Amino acid sequence: MTRGVTAELLILRKRAATWILLGLWTLLGVFFAYVVPYALDPEDSPVGLAEFLPESLAGTLIAGFPFFGGVFALMLGVFAVGSEYGWGTLKTLFTQRPTRLRVFAAKLAALGIVLVPFVLALFAAGAVASYVIAQIEGAAVTWPSAWLLARAMGAGWLILAVWAALGVLLGVATRGTSLAIGVGILYALVIEGLLSAFADSVSLLEPLTQVFLRANGYSIAAALGASVDSIESSGPGSYSGPFVDSLQALAVLVAFIAGLVVVSAILLRRRDVA
Amino acid sequence: MPQPSDLVIETRALTKRYGDAIIAVDDLALRVRRGEVYGFLGPNGAGKTTTLRMLLGLVRPTSGEAAVLGAAPGSPDGLARIGALVEAPAFYPYLSGRDNLRVLAGHAGVSEDRVEAVLSEVRLSDRADDRSATYSLGMKQRLGVAAALLKDPELLILDEPTNGLDPAGMAEMREFMRSLGEGGRTLVLSSHLMGEVEQVCDRVGVIRDGSLVAEGTVEQLRGRAGLRVRAEPLAEAARVVGAIPTVDEVTSVDGVLDVAVDTAQAPAINRALVEAGIAVSALYPQQASLEDVFLELTANGGQRP
Repeated sequence: MTRGVTAELLILRKRAATWILLGLWTLLGVFFAYVVPYALDPEDSPVGLAEFLPESLAGTLIAGFPFFGGVFALMLGVFAVGSEYGWGTLKTLFTQRPTRLRVFAAKLAALGIVLVPFVLALFAAGAVASYVIAQIEGAAVTWPSAWLLARAMGAGWLILAVWAALGVLLGVATRGTSLAIGVGILYALVIEGLLSAFADSVSLLEPLTQVFLRANGYSIAAALGASVDSIESSGPGSYSGPFVDSLQALAVLVAFIAGLVVVSAILLRRRDVA
Repeated sequence: MPQPSDLVIETRALTKRYGDAIIAVDDLALRVRRGEVYGFLGPNGAGKTTTLRMLLGLVRPTSGEAAVLGAAPGSPDGLARIGALVEAPAFYPYLSGRDNLRVLAGHAGVSEDRVEAVLSEVRLSDRADDRSATYSLGMKQRLGVAAALLKDPELLILDEPTNGLDPAGMAEMREFMRSLGEGGRTLVLSSHLMGEVEQVCDRVGVIRDGSLVAEGTVEQLRGRAGLRVRAEPLAEAARVVGAIPTVDEVTSVDGVLDVAVDTAQAPAINRALVEAGIAVSALYPQQASLEDVFLELTANGGQRP
C-alpha cells in the first residue's frame, strides 16, 4: 500500500495542473483575503484593520476555504481520478497486482497528502501578508496561538478534503474531467449558492441548506474566528447563515467524505473499464 | 487432452452482452495451454478485446466462467503473474517512460530494478527520461510491452501489439514477440494480422461474432498441402491423375487441377502425365494460407468445409 501511495504521489507531484492549482490558490487566496480588501480601504472591512493583522490570521484565512478553496480542491479531486479515464491509464493500473479498491485507496491517500501543502502554502503566504500589513500600519505583531493555527489548518484540510472527495466522485461518475468540473462548479454556485440565498426567505429550505458543504464549512470557519460579516460579503461564496454548531459541522463534513468516498468506490469497483 | 493444470486460460460459456441487442462475446470456450504462443484471431469487432478485458477483470462477463492461471479474472493472485497490453498502450503523458514504469512497479509491488531491466529489454533506455507524450507510436508500443514485462509474468497478453507500426516497427515487434514466447512463458497474441500470427504462434483460435469458430495449430488450420497442376488437355489430365492410387481427390478449378496428395508424389504425377502424352506446363505445391482460411472462416458461416 505504501508503494502504491508513493506511486500516486509521483503522478500528482509531476503533474503541472497540481502546481498550477497550488500556485493560483495561494496567490488568489492571499489576494482576496488581504491584498484587495486592504488596498481598497481597511476601514471598509467589516471588522476593520484587525482582520488583516497576524492575530486574525486563522480566521481570515479559513474563511476562504469553504467556497473558494473548495473549488480548487474539487478540481484537484477531478483531475486525480477523472483524467485516468481520458488517458486510459485506469486499465493499466487495474491490471497490476492490487484490487481496484486498493488502487483507489492509494489515490485517495495521495490526494489527502497533496492537500496538506495547499493548506500550508496559504497559511504561510497569509502570514507573510499579515506581517507586511502590520509593519506598514505600525501595528503590533501578535500571532495566534499554535493550537488555534493547528485547528484552523486541520479544519482547512478537512474542508478541502470534502470538496476533493466530491471531485473524485464526479470524476468517477462522469468518467472524465470537463463535465465533472462543470457539474461541480454548478453545484457549488447554483445549488448551494442560490438555495442558501433563498433560504433567507423560504424557511422550508433552511433545514436543507444546513447540510450543505457551504453551511458546515463556514460554521467551522466562524468557530475558528472568521468574521461572520466577512463571510456574508465574500462574493459568489458568500453565506449569511444559519451557522450550525461546530461539532455538528465537523460530523457532517466527515460524513460527507465517507459517503462520497463509498459511492465512488462502489462505482469504481462495479463498472467495466473500457 | 490437456490436463486442467496445463491450462493457463480456461473459459466456459463466457458471454458478454451490452443491453439486449449487442452480444460482444457469445458462449466462448477458450483453452490456452501453458508455454504456448496462442494467436487469438478475429476481424475488428469480433470480440477479441472484450474477451481479453474479461480475462483481466476489466470487464465483467454477463454469464459464464473464466479462470486465468487458476484464479478468477482480476484477482490479485492472477494479476501478479500476468502482464498485459490491451489495445493502445496507455500512459501518463507528462511522465517520462521511466516514471510511468515506476508508477506501475509501485502498484505491482515490483522492485524498481525491474524498471531498468525492462527498459533495456525493449531498447528504450536512451529515451527513458523523455515524456511519454513525445514518443512515437512504435516507442509507445515498446513501452507498453515493457510495462507488461515488469512483473516477469508467466502469462503475457498482447492485444494488437503491432497496431499502427510501420513495416520496420512491425518486423521488430514480431522478432521481439518470438523471443517473448521462448523460455516457457505463455503468450496470448490477439491480432488480425495473419503474417504476424503465422510466424509467431503455436496454436490459433479464430473468433467471429463473439464465438470461437476454429482452433488448432497453424498447420491444422491451413489444412493439408496438395499439388496444383496446369496441363493440356485438362480433362484427360484429371482422369490420369485421378487414377493414381495415392491421390485422394482431384478438382478442376479455373483451368488448373487441385490435387489432394502428398507433395512428395509430385515426380510420380508428372511422370504419369507425360507418359500419357499430356503437356504439363506447371506443377507446384499448393496450400491455403492462414489468411485464406481466416477470410473463409470469418466471411461465411464460420465453418471450413
